[in-house]
Amino acid sequence: MKDLKSKIEQYRKEFEEAVSEVRDSAALQKLRNLYLSRKKGYVAGLMDQLKTLPNEAKRDAGQLINTFKDHIQAELQKLQDTFQKQKKYVKAVDLTLPGTKCYWGAPHPLRVFQEKMEDIFLRMGFSIEDGPEIETDYYNFEALNFPPHHPARDDWDTLYINDDLLLRTHTSPVQIRVMEKKKPPIRIIIPGKVFRKETPDPTHAPMFFQMEGLVVDLGITFADLKGTLDFFLKAMFHNKIKIRFRPSFFPFTEPSAEVDISCTVCNGKKDDCRVCGGTGWVEILGAGMVDPQVLKNVNIDPEKYSGFAFGMGIDRTAMFEYQIPDMRLFYENDLRFIREFSRK
Amino acid sequence: MKISVNWLKNYIELDLSTSELIDSMESIGLMVESWEEKDDDLIVDLETYANRPDTLGHLGIARELSVKLDLPLKEQSWPISEIGIETSDLIDIHISDENLCPRYTGIIVKDIQIGPSPDWLRRRIKAIGLNPINNVVDVSNYVLFSTAQPIHTFDLAKLEGGEIIVREAFKGERLISLEGNDISLTPEMLVIADKKKPVALAGIIGGEETAVSDSTTDIFIESACFDPVSIRKTAKKIGVQTDASYRFERGADISFLPQAAMMTASLLAQFGGKTTKSLVDVFPNPKNEKSVVLRHHRIKELLGLDIEEEFITRTIAMLGFSIDQQQQKIWQIKVPSFRIDIEREADIIEEIARFYGYDKIPLTLPPLKELEPGMDQERVRINELRQMMLHSGYDEVVNFSFNDPAKEMVLKSGKVPIPIRNPISTVTSLLRTTLIGGLLENVAWNINRGADRVHIFEVGKTYFSQGDNTHEEQTLAFVTTGFVGFEHWQKKRKKADFFHLKGTCEALMSQLGYESFSFKTKEVGFFEEEQALLLHLKGEKVGCLGMIKREILDAYSIKRTVWAAELNLSNLFQKQHQTFHFSPIGRFPSVSRDVSFIVDQDVRYQDIKQTVEKLSIPFLESFYLQDRFMGSPVPKGKVSLSFRFIFRHPGKTLLAEEADSYQTQIINALKTGFHFLLREEE
Ligand SMILES: [Zn+2]
Repeated sequence: MKDLKSKIEQYRKEFEEAVSEVRDSAALQKLRNLYLSRKKGYVAGLMDQLKTLPNEAKRDAGQLINTFKDHIQAELQKLQDTFQKQKKYVKAVDLTLPGTKCYWGAPHPLRVFQEKMEDIFLRMGFSIEDGPEIETDYYNFEALNFPPHHPARDDWDTLYINDDLLLRTHTSPVQIRVMEKKKPPIRIIIPGKVFRKETPDPTHAPMFFQMEGLVVDLGITFADLKGTLDFFLKAMFHNKIKIRFRPSFFPFTEPSAEVDISCTVCNGKKDDCRVCGGTGWVEILGAGMVDPQVLKNVNIDPEKYSGFAFGMGIDRTAMFEYQIPDMRLFYENDLRFIREFSRK
Repeated sequence: MKISVNWLKNYIELDLSTSELIDSMESIGLMVESWEEKDDDLIVDLETYANRPDTLGHLGIARELSVKLDLPLKEQSWPISEIGIETSDLIDIHISDENLCPRYTGIIVKDIQIGPSPDWLRRRIKAIGLNPINNVVDVSNYVLFSTAQPIHTFDLAKLEGGEIIVREAFKGERLISLEGNDISLTPEMLVIADKKKPVALAGIIGGEETAVSDSTTDIFIESACFDPVSIRKTAKKIGVQTDASYRFERGADISFLPQAAMMTASLLAQFGGKTTKSLVDVFPNPKNEKSVVLRHHRIKELLGLDIEEEFITRTIAMLGFSIDQQQQKIWQIKVPSFRIDIEREADIIEEIARFYGYDKIPLTLPPLKELEPGMDQERVRINELRQMMLHSGYDEVVNFSFNDPAKEMVLKSGKVPIPIRNPISTVTSLLRTTLIGGLLENVAWNINRGADRVHIFEVGKTYFSQGDNTHEEQTLAFVTTGFVGFEHWQKKRKKADFFHLKGTCEALMSQLGYESFSFKTKEVGFFEEEQALLLHLKGEKVGCLGMIKREILDAYSIKRTVWAAELNLSNLFQKQHQTFHFSPIGRFPSVSRDVSFIVDQDVRYQDIKQTVEKLSIPFLESFYLQDRFMGSPVPKGKVSLSFRFIFRHPGKTLLAEEADSYQTQIINALKTGFHFLLREEE
């Protein structure tokens, strides 16, 4: 027991000296091994010695060893913490090398734009609807107040499947489908794919995307139409744009309007502006109050309810917003074009 | 339609700058497509509306402007020099069907000198982009572009039997048109005939034989109107559109016919012509004027703006309507015959709004009284799925919904494509039955432009027919070829392979809440043998994936290997998916056990997985394949599979013995099911 005590004292002395000379982590580790190594360390040696003691001495001796062990551990930890704080990284690798890039896909610009439009209407409490792309003549034309053989149909050059079925030329048939199954209040937008018999060129395509809107309720007015579109267009483009409503004609609205916004490309200051042709205005939307005949066609009483509808080309509007000169770019799917929109 | 401003000045005193004039026109909906200053005149090209045939002449435009600018329309008079002969003494008019020709008027001008038109007339004709021909042709064009009423002139001497018959053509009749085309007539076509033969296709084009020529001296002037639908059908059938047919198919002003005839006669009188007395006018069934009731309160209800009564009554009167107050703020309005578009109160309200100015209508927002609680679920899911595809590194494309029949044959989707009756070209004459064709076009396009990888997806409809029905299915497809990810100095790039594709499918299915999907090996039209899987969910096929067949790739001129997958979203979304539930995270440590087996190489992973899952080991949190290899020291025909099983008890620390017993259960099941050998047992 005495032996053990003096041995510990000796180790402690030696340790204090050794510790004061440790200058780096390597020396620290060496010292740790010398004392704490599980098999050959001094502490392990002390433990071995402990086993030879008579049982009644074991308890006190054990405590002595543990105190000593704790002391060493604490000292070494202190030293390690000091080294840690002083640690300096050496220049191992050129940190200006490029970092690892995350590869994510790019959304199609038309989808990006469509979502941007949808978001604005969702903020105004609209919900989103869609319907079939293969439509009947009734939904695409007749119910929307285009009589058979009417020249108004000439503006909607149609791809036919047979005498009755066609590829919808606008998203407007969904207006009818929704009004047939749901009574007012109705407050919807209808984004979707539409088809026309048109050969692709910079401003035409046989297939493109439209967004239609419809609000039907008691007391809906043309002023509500103007307010709604004013909010939408300003949220979509810029708070400062000018908006112009001018009379027009659509078979399914009365009164009808076309909506122009001031040309944000030239601000109306360039006579040969490619976007507005020098007029200072860009046509964005067709709109109007739902024609009373259309309401009658879906058994909504036009004396009681009124509504407005509007529609715009998603492609055309995106072309204007992003300054894309050729509509065909959307459908060529050149990834150099698409990947530009990974930033959108 | 070209409008000469000098010509307009015949009807209205205009004194506006070009920009003032254009602004005035556009504010009432006369949209200027372009304009040009030429020969001291301003020519504006206006958009036309299918419902406003009255604005297809200078008079109609002048009338609109007169209301807008509050200027009077100038009266015009058409003096004639009459001879003592009644028109009806020289010609008889018969109409066989008054529905097809509700009114026909005519007058004869004798002793006319055919020759070039005077300067003023030539100038007018040239201003609107036409070539002056001779005084008679120029006059009828002048009348048409002034009043929108088409006029036809016949050489009276060439009309046989002194008769004009408006009738449907007889089978086998033919007509050589003014343009020299030999038209074969069919019985539903309306013709103007003399006693023997058709002399004109009514309202569309005249015949060569009875046309006015240099030797003509006496002229029969026709001013009539015809059924718009009949005109349109015939014009479409023979593929001709003339200034006359364009107007007749939109509707003519039935009251104006005699005035148009008299105006023509009067102008021809300037070239020495003398007019027969009292024109012939066959008008079997004159209709009453249309009348519409307008209630003042409806204006506010529809426009959201009060408009003073004085403005309303004055505007309506200036537009040529007659107005009669019935009660306080309720008017009975008689609609002039030239406004065929006005039938309802809403039509009148539009007129008032148009002239009041759309810009004066205030901005309000429609009150929100009710909200749809749920979003369209299909849409929500499609958006989730698109985001997952983007995160997985696929770019999004949108292709036309058409397909080329030749490509459809090679693709063999197994569905019956829907043909388009009047396609823009043969290569777009079918609706696509699969998205994969479009995606392969995109692969080829991009590889040809130097892309070293193409990973793309599309969400859109595919179409097919089944019996008499057409179907549309919401579909997702994606293809992958070439390197994955960006090039980077730290690591070698991986190339896309089957498992890259399959990983995306698996991720999609589990993210969408369809954990119980499985794969079946089966031949699929698009894919190479032994390189295809069907994706099944609850016993039904919802998709397929695999390596695209060489012969298909050849059809698209693609030399690379391409993997593709297609999922039928319409089917998939009908399946009940697991809704998301929060489960508490394990608070006690897990025990993991690694086990390696040697097994026949044709044992399928999916079967092993299902066997383990079926055991329903209570605390097996997860397990996965860590390693798989063949070759030495693994015997031939065998494969080594290393799994890691992770066990965790939610309420306590799992004891080693418990984990051991679960592990033994798994090992025994696999040993019996697949003759597994533990690596140690080898
Ligand atoms: Zn501009």
